[in-house]
Amino acid sequence: MKTHIEFTRAPIVPPPPQSGSREIGAVLEFSGVVRELEDGRKIPGLQYEAYEPMARAQLDKIFAELAAKHPCEEIYFIHRLGFVPVGEASLFIRISAGHRQPALALMAELIDRLKTDVPVWKLSNVLH
Amino acid sequence: MKIKILTFAQTRAQLGFSEMEFECSSDETPREIFRRLAPQFDPGKTIRVAVNQEYADWDRPVGNAFELALIPPVSGG
Repeated sequence: MKTHIEFTRAPIVPPPPQSGSREIGAVLEFSGVVRELEDGRKIPGLQYEAYEPMARAQLDKIFAELAAKHPCEEIYFIHRLGFVPVGEASLFIRISAGHRQPALALMAELIDRLKTDVPVWKLSNVLH
Repeated sequence: MKIKILTFAQTRAQLGFSEMEFECSSDETPREIFRRLAPQFDPGKTIRVAVNQEYADWDRPVGNAFELALIPPVSGG
């Protein structure tokens, strides 16, 4: 499985669709977007930080674990860091697979694992 | 030996630094190191510790580790 992990302080630009295998039947994209209301109050955006080397190592491990259960061809992962204004994406994931079932299952589990095990934090109380 | 200590998110506010070098011995555990470094700091049940960028046990000696990090509950995405 091909993987790409990127942490960026610039707005996320979804990568162009990759060419290559003609056996890919499902391409699934997910964007996590910053909402205006955080705990009921309006915010200008969220500040994100990561323990980047460990986050990469955790993601590699989680990708391998999940791909063993849900075989996919590629995971393309981008997480934005620093200040992310309301309405912009903090997260982009694209999963390419032969069939939709493993792509959907891997996506759901990957986002769950991101939110429990990958050292990335959002700090809503930090003003821009 | 010297170990690099990193803090993130609320643990940085609690301890008042983001990165420092600290003198410790290889048979000390993360819990013992933080007890010496910041006696008022209590990781409770929610703050995890990472040794050399891997989740680790608060009560296992750090050995020849080069880096120790406090990992408060994560919230990426």
